[in-house]
Amino acid sequence: MDISKDLIAASSTPLVLAILKNKDNYGYSIIKKVKEMSRNEIIWTEGMLYPVLHKLEKEGLIESYWKKAETGRRRKYYRIKKEGIEELDKQKKQWEVVHSTLSKEITFQEEE
Amino acid sequence: MFDLETNITAWTDRLRLSEKISEDDVLELEDHLREEIDELKSQGLSGDEAFLISVKRMGNITSLSMEYSKVNTEDLWKNLLSDASKNQNYYKDIFLVLVFAIIAGTLAKIPNFFGLTMDDLAYFKNLSFFILPVTAIYFGITRKIDKKIVTYVASVFLISLVIVNLYPSYSPNHTEVLTALHLPLLLWLVTGIAYTGKKWKEYKDRMNFLRLTGESIIYGSLIVLGTMVLVGFTAMIFETISIDISDGVISNIGIFGGTTAFMLTIYLVEKKKSVVENFAPILAKIFSPLFLITMIIFLIVMVYTGSNPSEDRNFLIAFDVMLVLVLGLVIYTISARDMNNRINIFDYINAALIITAIILDVVALSAIINRLTEYGISPNKLAALGENILLLVNLTGLLWYYGKYFKGKIQFKKIEIFQTKYLTFYGIWFSTVVFIFPVLFRFQ
Repeated sequence: MDISKDLIAASSTPLVLAILKNKDNYGYSIIKKVKEMSRNEIIWTEGMLYPVLHKLEKEGLIESYWKKAETGRRRKYYRIKKEGIEELDKQKKQWEVVHSTLSKEITFQEEE
Repeated sequence: MFDLETNITAWTDRLRLSEKISEDDVLELEDHLREEIDELKSQGLSGDEAFLISVKRMGNITSLSMEYSKVNTEDLWKNLLSDASKNQNYYKDIFLVLVFAIIAGTLAKIPNFFGLTMDDLAYFKNLSFFILPVTAIYFGITRKIDKKIVTYVASVFLISLVIVNLYPSYSPNHTEVLTALHLPLLLWLVTGIAYTGKKWKEYKDRMNFLRLTGESIIYGSLIVLGTMVLVGFTAMIFETISIDISDGVISNIGIFGGTTAFMLTIYLVEKKKSVVENFAPILAKIFSPLFLITMIIFLIVMVYTGSNPSEDRNFLIAFDVMLVLVLGLVIYTISARDMNNRINIFDYINAALIITAIILDVVALSAIINRLTEYGISPNKLAALGENILLLVNLTGLLWYYGKYFKGKIQFKKIEIFQTKYLTFYGIWFSTVVFIFPVLFRFQ
């Protein structure tokens, strides 16, 4: 199943926030995580992820810091901020509204 | 043989070419690329295979930089314009640098027709008028600064030129010397307005200008040192065939060489930002601990031997030069600091440097006040008093904000905002010394 570009873009913010809420993370691992969680349905490109991360940082929803990884390289990690958690809750509710509306429509049609 | 490291470096250097991608982003993407390569290699691919696939996955670099430009939209248009004609711009810039260096050098020759030479105070006083207006115009053109701002800056230059040269000067010419020393500083700040353009009041732009200043000093010193070696070597080989070129040729070339070195420095720092951005934080990290150790030893020796700067005028001057150097290093370290870093050892070193500088400043201030009460008011002492108070407030302010930053009450940004705002006071003080002091002390 190919998920449309628009949907991928729209879902990027809540997905990133949800992953970061779980624990601090970095770019490469976030892409892998999304792939895993969606059972290979959602594949993000680097060109898409980093602008999203930087946008969220600019909006003050997440923050970044450099840390030495196990590999010995310095790695840029992202951490969710209080504002980010609030935003995630808001967006989750919005998705739920969309989701429940969609399911309702289907049952409504079935009833007819 | 495929060398992975060389190829990765080449790739990151390509990224650095894009003005949209900051050094921080490059490092982040490099880590990403390496991770991808490691993963592929662990699946049994060879180094070159893994590299090729990873690079392909990272996407076309230009498309990546396009994506980035959506984040850093501040000057997106500039990038769109310059990306297409990168090579052309390069030659245009070099050409501009040379033309402007020649103009500045020619300007510097004009006073010779009035019988003034390098040794005259009047010539020395006007030194900044040869090079800084040219630099301001260069910024105006290359940075596409608003015409209104350029006109405004130009008129400040013109008015200063007229006033400074209309003021008479009587023996012992103290105020004229003070003007000669403070005018370049004042006009450099004015040139800064031509650098930042419309946004000259904003802290980020002012910070960029401070960074430019610090890096120009470093790069400039390197270029001057290199030139000195070249000139010395040239003189030496000509001497072996018994031709003495040290007088005529060198003094003539000297001016043009000097202006070219100046313009080249500005160009290098401006255009080769990515190289410098790698270089600057390292320099700051090497020199701040060294300076701190020197300062602490100096303070200990001073207390131990009981020396007092109020006894000796030269001692006091050396003291103030050292203070300015330390403050310069402190500000440069702040400007070179990565905003995203958390508190680290170098922040503490910088704060410690500020503390030693405050101690020095208090000693210097007490010495000046001693001399003032003992010998009465003179333009030099008053200027020194003003400068030391200005520095003391600056240093104390920085320490105050550092303290708050260490406690986690404020972001690092606040320190930068304070420092850049404070620049205005330097501007006011420099203009006071240049324009009001001569009147105040009857041009003596």
